[in-house]
Amino acid sequence: MMRLLLLAMVVLLLGACAAPSPTTVDPLAALRRADGTVVWQEEYAFHSPPAPWALVSLDEDDYSIAFAKECSEYFPCQSTMAYAEEPFGYSKDFEKRAPEFFKRFLWASRVVFGEPRLEPATFDGKPALVARVEGKERVKGQKVSAKVVFARRGERVVGFYYTQWRPEQIAYDPVDEQAFDAFVDSFKFVKPSFYEQL
Amino acid sequence: MEGHQRNLHLYDRFNARVVGVSRNDVNTLKFWSDELELTFPILSNPVGHIGMWFGAQPPGYPMFSRKTVIIDRQGIIRYMRNGTPDFHDILQTLKKLNAEEVKS
Repeated sequence: MMRLLLLAMVVLLLGACAAPSPTTVDPLAALRRADGTVVWQEEYAFHSPPAPWALVSLDEDDYSIAFAKECSEYFPCQSTMAYAEEPFGYSKDFEKRAPEFFKRFLWASRVVFGEPRLEPATFDGKPALVARVEGKERVKGQKVSAKVVFARRGERVVGFYYTQWRPEQIAYDPVDEQAFDAFVDSFKFVKPSFYEQL
Repeated sequence: MEGHQRNLHLYDRFNARVVGVSRNDVNTLKFWSDELELTFPILSNPVGHIGMWFGAQPPGYPMFSRKTVIIDRQGIIRYMRNGTPDFHDILQTLKKLNAEEVKS
């Protein structure tokens, strides 16, 4: 019995010594084409943002996709970007959709947002609308910078979101927004949407 | 509800109408509907019998659980789904039902 116990302990000790080597698994590898673009659900293609950006969820029923990047120098120190097939709101007109959207955007965060700044843009050769807004959480001393691109797929409005969370006294890092812009620029619809084919 | 509002023009295309049903009182629903700018009716059913008929009333719980029901012109239930509405599924069902009606 003692010998068995000893053996078990040795195994445990050896197990503790063998630190797992860090493995970098690309969850999108199977979907990546030779030119580096990822084709998601045969619906759209894009260049995923470079590491340390990481895929947030990979649900096959989900027609949206999101990436997050975290750092540990201070809290909060996080950026997120996402594509949403069904952004909040319902109007097809961008100018009407923006206020509908911001009524619910990050509603659970208790952040108080300023007035969004709207700027006409283009996406995939069609008119789009960029909205920028900053929110502050005074109690926790946190802030968030958000950028939303309202674009069109068929007649419906789709959205790209970007947020960067920082403590109130820390400046935002423009690199993350550049990664978001590159993601949006690379994004292409591979086929007509469900709604266009209905 | 926002998703239904987004799809109203498609429901029109398939000759369908949407109504929401809740156990909340009329004033609460009116405020909520105004806040979301919904243009379709939301029915107040405080006693909960509609939810009981459709199996959306969990025992001992004062609210309906989410359920989508499609009823055809003859009053026959043609589709039921618990939880978050699957709009692709709903629209495909409505398209099929509309095609059946047009044919008959």
